[in-house]
Amino acid sequence: MNREAFLQRVRQAVAEGNRAGAIADLPVRGGVGYQGAGPNPVQRFCDELRGAGGVPHIATGREAAVQAVLGLVRSKRSRNIMLGRGGAIERLDLAERLRAEGLLVKQMDDLSAQTARDSFFDADLGISNVAYLVAETGTVVMATQPDDPRSLSLLPPVHIAIAERRQILPDLFDLFDLFSPVSGTPPSCLTLITGPSKTGDIELKLVTGVHGPGEIHVLILDTSPT
Amino acid sequence: MNYARHEHHDFLGGSAHALADAGLQRVLTRLTDTLVAANRRGYAALSDSDKLRDHAKLIKEHTLAHLDRYLEQLEDSVKKLGGHVHWAATAEDARQIVVQIARQANCTKAVKSKSMTSEEMHLNPALEKAGIEVTETDFGEFIIQAAGERPSHLVAPAVHHTRESVAAILSRHLGEQLSDDPQALALTGRRVLRERFYQADLGITGANFAVAETGTIVLVTNEGNGRLTTTCPRVHVALMGLEKVIPRFGDLPVFLKLLARAATGQTLSIYTTLITGPRRDGELDGPEEFHLVILDNGRSKILATPFRESLQCIRCGACLNVCPVYRRVGGHAYGGVYSGPIGSILTPLYDSVSQNPHLPHASSLCGACQAACPVRINIPHMLIGLRELQHQFKPGRWESLAYGFWKQVLCRPWMYRLALKGARMFTRFFAKEGWLSRLPGPGANWTAMRDFPAPAAKAFRDRWKELNS
Repeated sequence: MNREAFLQRVRQAVAEGNRAGAIADLPVRGGVGYQGAGPNPVQRFCDELRGAGGVPHIATGREAAVQAVLGLVRSKRSRNIMLGRGGAIERLDLAERLRAEGLLVKQMDDLSAQTARDSFFDADLGISNVAYLVAETGTVVMATQPDDPRSLSLLPPVHIAIAERRQILPDLFDLFDLFSPVSGTPPSCLTLITGPSKTGDIELKLVTGVHGPGEIHVLILDTSPT
Repeated sequence: MNYARHEHHDFLGGSAHALADAGLQRVLTRLTDTLVAANRRGYAALSDSDKLRDHAKLIKEHTLAHLDRYLEQLEDSVKKLGGHVHWAATAEDARQIVVQIARQANCTKAVKSKSMTSEEMHLNPALEKAGIEVTETDFGEFIIQAAGERPSHLVAPAVHHTRESVAAILSRHLGEQLSDDPQALALTGRRVLRERFYQADLGITGANFAVAETGTIVLVTNEGNGRLTTTCPRVHVALMGLEKVIPRFGDLPVFLKLLARAATGQTLSIYTTLITGPRRDGELDGPEEFHLVILDNGRSKILATPFRESLQCIRCGACLNVCPVYRRVGGHAYGGVYSGPIGSILTPLYDSVSQNPHLPHASSLCGACQAACPVRINIPHMLIGLRELQHQFKPGRWESLAYGFWKQVLCRPWMYRLALKGARMFTRFFAKEGWLSRLPGPGANWTAMRDFPAPAAKAFRDRWKELNS
């Protein structure tokens, strides 16, 4: 409607305000800002996650990983669990193992767009795969797709993310380099999670779980020989 | 401009009020001390924060120098994803656009995550007038909305309240008696707001960044309300000032690595949400419609002037925390939507230089703001520029007479010496231990607020003469 007039005003303002030799090309970053993860990315990830208030767990075998998840679920006394699909969750056969405990487990193929909302609002624990982990910042990266909806890591009050060691990226730049119109359009929603939901709105006193999960656990399956 | 016309504000009155409020002074000191330390720690944790900040500034400079091109590219990218782009020249346009979107999609219940742009637009009253219920979902903003106030800090909007006053505000708002324990209050907020999210059909957010190349908008929050706002309702409207566009997806980490560190010392905020178009086929949640509203509201005017640099601001709030003026008077004294040093520039520019005469002077020009800024905006330089503009607008008869006289004195050494001698003799009667704490006549205006150093008993000139004789 006002598009042309709007852009014309911007065009004119740009021309008027540009100094001679205004930065014609995007500056080249080179290595500026790249922090990396140091010699031990797993350790770095765990330290950063802990610093942000999350809880890392490392399992060196599949059964140990399953036991870690079951232990957490028991300690939270969770009954109503939303479980992601594919990836590490599939390889650990978590759906079967959780159901064997007598828990109510819903996976994404049990849901439709109509029923998903109520299920997610009612759940008391969400277990998801991750797209990546970023060691530099202790960040869990969730990429939305049919098996990984936005709500899975958002609505239940406790989130358990299951990752494999090879999914760790050293630096935030490494993550963003993976997406561009050339290398692959980003998903409809890419979420970087760095710790549990927090607010300091009352007298700067840190309170967790005000909107998102108040607890985030990241289980790293590390089966590689060290 | 219709930026804040109805709230032209008495900065001096607001400041005096804030200075007299002992509770507010305590809160401000704690807030700003905490965040200043966090800002320094945040930068120090990066191996090359100086270079990264320089690079961030270069990206912003480049983008603003080619802003027309990048805005068109952004529009293309959003449309390719099936989203809609709306151009709003003024705040009034933007309000109408949002109301129109809501009506066309039959939305009646809106949830909002914190957006300074929506504050600037005065969006909430317009939506409510159109019969749309609006809930602020950032916990601090929720408190502010219940109290009927405006935010007092860019990242800590309710910081001027104590736990007791928050408990009183929310108890009244929700009609139940709440304890003043922050954790319990926050969980009450969670329960109430969850219900609103469940029912909402319209989600309104700002945008910390918008990527031209991919059509991605970025939301940075700590609570997760930005995520809920873009997950639960079936329509998502994102509001952005035209300066928020950046060229490439790969430029984002440059800003993300700086933004949270500058604001709160975090390596990253808890949630960084990158939204690229509406829900796609087969996905279980997320909005079916995505609208991006791009707001000018005076920004293009600034783009053409030497004040362009102010459009590089990424709204971290670091300049507020370090500012010796903000640290004492807090956010409300500034009157506008944006407070602190950056607000002292933006409010006069967006609104009117002549109607906001005190703001460019609400600074000691110490430079702490520029030193803390993640994109190194030369705020002191621009404040001086605004003072120059004011001078052009309003010569002020008595002021120019006084300065004319002073100029004559300064041009004649004998007159200068005579004037100083007179001042020394006159002030001798008022000086105590080298300070003048009470002056008569117009001088009282100065000494009401602070002491004035008394002239030395003997002029430096005379002592120099004695030494050399």
